[in-house]
Amino acid sequence: MQDTLNQRSVVFGAAIHLDGETHWRPAADIYRTRTGWLLKYDLAGVKREDIEVTVRGSQITLNGFRRDWRLEDGCSHYSMEISYNRFERTLELPCDLEGAQIKLEGREGILLVRLICEGEHREQS
Amino acid sequence: MSNPENLQTLPVLPIKHAVLFPSMLMPLNVGRPSSIAAIEAALASEEKEIVVVAQRDAAVDSPGLTDLYSIGTKAVIKKMARRADGLLEVVLLGVERVVLLKLEQHGAYQKARIKPLPLPQEKSTEIEALRREVGELAVRALALTQPQAADRLSQLITDAKDSLRLVYTLAPMFSLELEKEQALLEAPTVAECLRLMHSYLAQELQVLELRSKIANEAQSEMSREQREYLLRQQLRAIQKELGGENPEQSEVALLRERLEKADLPEEVRKEAERELGRLEKLPPAAPDYHVTRTYLEFLLELPWKKSTEDVLDISRARQILDEDHYDLREVKERILEHLGVLKLNPTAKSPILCFVGPPGVGKTSLGQSIARALSRKFERFSLGGLHDEAELRGHRRTYIGAMPGRIIQAIRRAGVNNPVLMLDEVDKLGRDFRGDPAAALLEILDPEQNRTFRDNYLDLPFDLSKVFFITTGNALDTIPQPLLDRMELLRLAGYSEEEKIEIARRYLIPRQLKETGLKPEDCVITEDALRSIIALYTREAGVRQLERTIGRIARKVALRHAEGHTEPVTVTREDLTTWLGPRRFSLEQTRRQLPPGVATGLAWTETGGDVLYVEATLLPNGRGMTLTGQLGEVMQESARAAQSYVWSHAEELGIDGTKFRRYGVHIHVPAGAIPKDGPSAGVTMATALASVYTRYAVRVDTAMTGEITLTGLVLPVGGIKEKVLASRRVGIKRVILPRENQKDLSELPEDVAKEMEFIFADKIEDVLSTAIPQLAEHFAALKAAS
Repeated sequence: MQDTLNQRSVVFGAAIHLDGETHWRPAADIYRTRTGWLLKYDLAGVKREDIEVTVRGSQITLNGFRRDWRLEDGCSHYSMEISYNRFERTLELPCDLEGAQIKLEGREGILLVRLICEGEHREQS
Repeated sequence: MSNPENLQTLPVLPIKHAVLFPSMLMPLNVGRPSSIAAIEAALASEEKEIVVVAQRDAAVDSPGLTDLYSIGTKAVIKKMARRADGLLEVVLLGVERVVLLKLEQHGAYQKARIKPLPLPQEKSTEIEALRREVGELAVRALALTQPQAADRLSQLITDAKDSLRLVYTLAPMFSLELEKEQALLEAPTVAECLRLMHSYLAQELQVLELRSKIANEAQSEMSREQREYLLRQQLRAIQKELGGENPEQSEVALLRERLEKADLPEEVRKEAERELGRLEKLPPAAPDYHVTRTYLEFLLELPWKKSTEDVLDISRARQILDEDHYDLREVKERILEHLGVLKLNPTAKSPILCFVGPPGVGKTSLGQSIARALSRKFERFSLGGLHDEAELRGHRRTYIGAMPGRIIQAIRRAGVNNPVLMLDEVDKLGRDFRGDPAAALLEILDPEQNRTFRDNYLDLPFDLSKVFFITTGNALDTIPQPLLDRMELLRLAGYSEEEKIEIARRYLIPRQLKETGLKPEDCVITEDALRSIIALYTREAGVRQLERTIGRIARKVALRHAEGHTEPVTVTREDLTTWLGPRRFSLEQTRRQLPPGVATGLAWTETGGDVLYVEATLLPNGRGMTLTGQLGEVMQESARAAQSYVWSHAEELGIDGTKFRRYGVHIHVPAGAIPKDGPSAGVTMATALASVYTRYAVRVDTAMTGEITLTGLVLPVGGIKEKVLASRRVGIKRVILPRENQKDLSELPEDVAKEMEFIFADKIEDVLSTAIPQLAEHFAALKAAS
């Protein structure tokens, strides 16, 4: 049997990601809170120590690794849809985030990132 | 994950025909067991990483380090699924460029030691310019390959900021060769990478533009034809609406009707039906339509089986032939013989006759009267100057404007397949690079072959064996031998004075009077006057000029009648000058006396015979022999033979041998402007030479002809009748002929033969003793002495 490339069929799918990334992007929801922002990332199976958060101006970037692990001996992939390896997600918020307080919390496969901004708080109230 | 040197060891997935670029997704169907093993190994790892490398030669099944390019791409397996047929579908995402350092076998798959090779990052205005240029080319090319997605893609391309990613994205869209893709991946700088891509795209664009041009042309061609078809359909509908029948269909129907009625051989009918079927399917605008229609019409017009009934009444035929022509016994007999044969055997082959004779002796009119005598149709055409074989045999229908050959056209004009077909001037056939019509005639005139004569245009065998062919010509020597061989030769020699008078009386005068509207009694030309006209106003073998001259007299008489002088006119010899002006030829052309060295010869020409004088003179202090008077090669040689004979027989002839050394000799044959050739002047030249060396004159009333040999024999020559008539015309009544030509005298009219004195010579001495009286005495004295 031969390896066949069916590259052409997805060429246009690929072409659309012209900002081409070499990592995967976890899905994220953004909430407003009284004290600032609550970011919710779809990041199951990722260890806390493999996650890194950086803030730059109004951007918050989350990157890290999702590593697979062996569930038990003698099992192998039959199919795979979950993205592993490096991920990165940068979100832009309509306010300066430098100096904001960041809290990470994992809950049932979801990563919650809470941003508490002083300024935001005052404005809100 | 990564050690200090950034070295990694990962499973290797060799791929064929493609390169995975960093940050690009590539779906793959994997089937090779070693590749499956490599992917499984990668899947079992935490990071799902694998090295993707293109293999240089797609044919290699388990590639080693040298079979792979040394630069590949580290990839992450994004998705994977097993298919029922055992293939593995995977989607790979290129992560970074790596260098392969080492390969090691690891069970079923190989692992590679790799080192990252970071992508170049440089920026410059040149790169910016190159990037835009590449983008522009790509947009143009995509407009040709993916017109429906082009807008969306071109927006993305112009928006792209990262040059390398632009190239990596574009490369898979144009099926670039593996080497080119690999070169893009390996490019050490961004500028290099862009430049490569630019050249590939430019080339690709050229090919695409050419392809699209070809496709456009094909399409426009198609739509034109469709349009024509539609219009034609509409036209048909309109015609139907107007109640008119489809004209071209009715044309075909008409042809079909004619075809059904026509009496055709089976082979011809089959071919005609095939062509008609083709015609029905052709649109009338097609160029072939007209060609096929013309061909069919011609085919149907030909008399394949139609022939006239021969009237085999011999006495009637004889009467007709005699009515039309005076004398020509031999020819008339031949025609009557053929009639006799046809009476006994109706399927006898027609003879192929060739009439040879000078102009105006009635060759062509004889053909007409043969046709009349046999009650056949008469057709004629001239071969004179014809130099293209296709004129006779036609052009093949593949040529534009192709026509059948003259033979088949004449048959069609005749409307029957057994006409008398006269081919005039067969001796004046041309020949050039287009072919030799004489060769084509060979087939046509061969009764064994012409049964299935195939005209190139017709391309069907036509039976010419029933055609009565007659060819005519003035001279035999230009007719190719094989052609001559196929024909029965009938010579029509020139007419004698008596014959001409008879012809004038019976045919020419009545005809000319009738043409000018005179009654026979209105104009009488006496025999004496006719004789003068023949001798002094015309000089020809035939009677054409004679008829014209009689016509002139008739017209003058008619003019007088028209002016009111209606009394009958008798034309006598005395008042010929008032009718015809001064005479045009004079009998005084014969010389009254000959000085030594001049002899009278006889020549044959196309217009009959002629008298010519051979003049020889000695040149004191001269040397050798000079020959003038446009003498041909054969004639020059016969002059040399004559000279050699005279030299070698000097003693017998009583010539002082020292004269040969002391004098040169010059032979001249007037008229100097007319080319002459042939051996028949041999005896004349020998006589002239003997005369000039002996200083004895030649008899003025004696003419001679004959070929000589070195030993002095006299050989026979041709054209005796014409020569004798010519000598009589100029008033020379004594003629020396080769003994072997005695038999030819039977051709002469009796009255002429009676009037003339013939001396037959075996050897040149006979000639000399007859022509030079003093030599005769000399020979007699010699004989007496011995």
